[in-house]
Amino acid sequence: MWSTAADNVLADFDSAIPARRALEQRFDRLLAENGPALSRMAGSYTNSTSDRDDLFQEIAMAVWQALPRFRGDCSERTFLFRIAQNRALSYLARNRYRDMRKKEESEDELELPDPRPDPEAGLAREQQGARLLKAIRLLPVLYRQVVTLTLEGIEYREIAQILGISESNVGVRLNRGRHMLRRLLEDQR
Amino acid sequence: MSVDAELDVWRREWQSETAVPAAGLRGKVQRQSRIMRMTLMAEVLVTVVMGGGTTAWAVRSRQPDTMVLAAAVWVFLAAAWTFAIVSRRDCWSPAALNTSAFLDLSIRRCRSAISATTFGTILYFCELLFCLTWVFRHLSQREPIRLEAFLSSGPVAVVWLCTLTYVGFVLWYRRKKRAELSYLLALDGRSEHALPNT
Repeated sequence: MWSTAADNVLADFDSAIPARRALEQRFDRLLAENGPALSRMAGSYTNSTSDRDDLFQEIAMAVWQALPRFRGDCSERTFLFRIAQNRALSYLARNRYRDMRKKEESEDELELPDPRPDPEAGLAREQQGARLLKAIRLLPVLYRQVVTLTLEGIEYREIAQILGISESNVGVRLNRGRHMLRRLLEDQR
Repeated sequence: MSVDAELDVWRREWQSETAVPAAGLRGKVQRQSRIMRMTLMAEVLVTVVMGGGTTAWAVRSRQPDTMVLAAAVWVFLAAAWTFAIVSRRDCWSPAALNTSAFLDLSIRRCRSAISATTFGTILYFCELLFCLTWVFRHLSQREPIRLEAFLSSGPVAVVWLCTLTYVGFVLWYRRKKRAELSYLLALDGRSEHALPNT
């Protein structure tokens, strides 16, 4: 009886190691495929590189914890962006006062992304990207969610699944968000 | 510029940022997961050490006051765990809920955290009152001691200091949670005029 129990434990242990490795590989693949998009999304909710990195890490941790429960009832990207949006909301709520103070201090500061290998060619695009990011950060959260997801090339249907709203609602928010974004970008010129 | 062309330009500008923070992210994430598990284990450990320790002491000494202490510690621990389980009952959920459902969950968690501070403070002062009374009685049985002298003694001064720190922390935490709750409620209200943009 004891040897059977011990065999079962050993069998469980043996099967747990490959399962763990598969989970790690899946996590690495998801992050490699979607890391830049998640980082951009995190950047739209934070005002500095270090805060963006913190939020990105929080998102990664939530993904790591939720991944074993993912049963494929939606696409991996939907799953990932749901978690990311949820973490971002939690982050915003948690840091509300601190960010409001910081925002006032850095209202006129423009933080540029890290330099690329080809600085001359990329500089103009980077500055435009930074200007766009600054404008997106000023959008109300409900519009910002839809705008950033759209800019990642995600369809209305998938955005509706991520946010738990109707597709027509996605359209309405996107329209308003775009209108506001256009105005904000014009104001920055 | 047409609407779609405008969106394409924004999309290109937006996606030009391709930096991904932090090398060895999985290691950091696994470390954080371990810390969270250890925190939970610490809660269980405190229960076992406090409850088990006082029970063992009561069994060994067979004195009525140590038995009272052990019983009271278990009552306090049971109250704390019951409240923790009841208040967390509707707050556990997978991280991958859609954002709308997650918002509801966050609001429940926030309200639960605020009520936990009220309960925690009441429990803390009950425990404080009981422990100070118990220690005073215990010391008085050995040699007579004045209440004022006891309350201003060195070890009890440390307790007052801890109490002050605890009250300060609770006040700060409640303010933080209230701010969080009002933000989440504003988001949940979907009011176009009251949308927070931070």
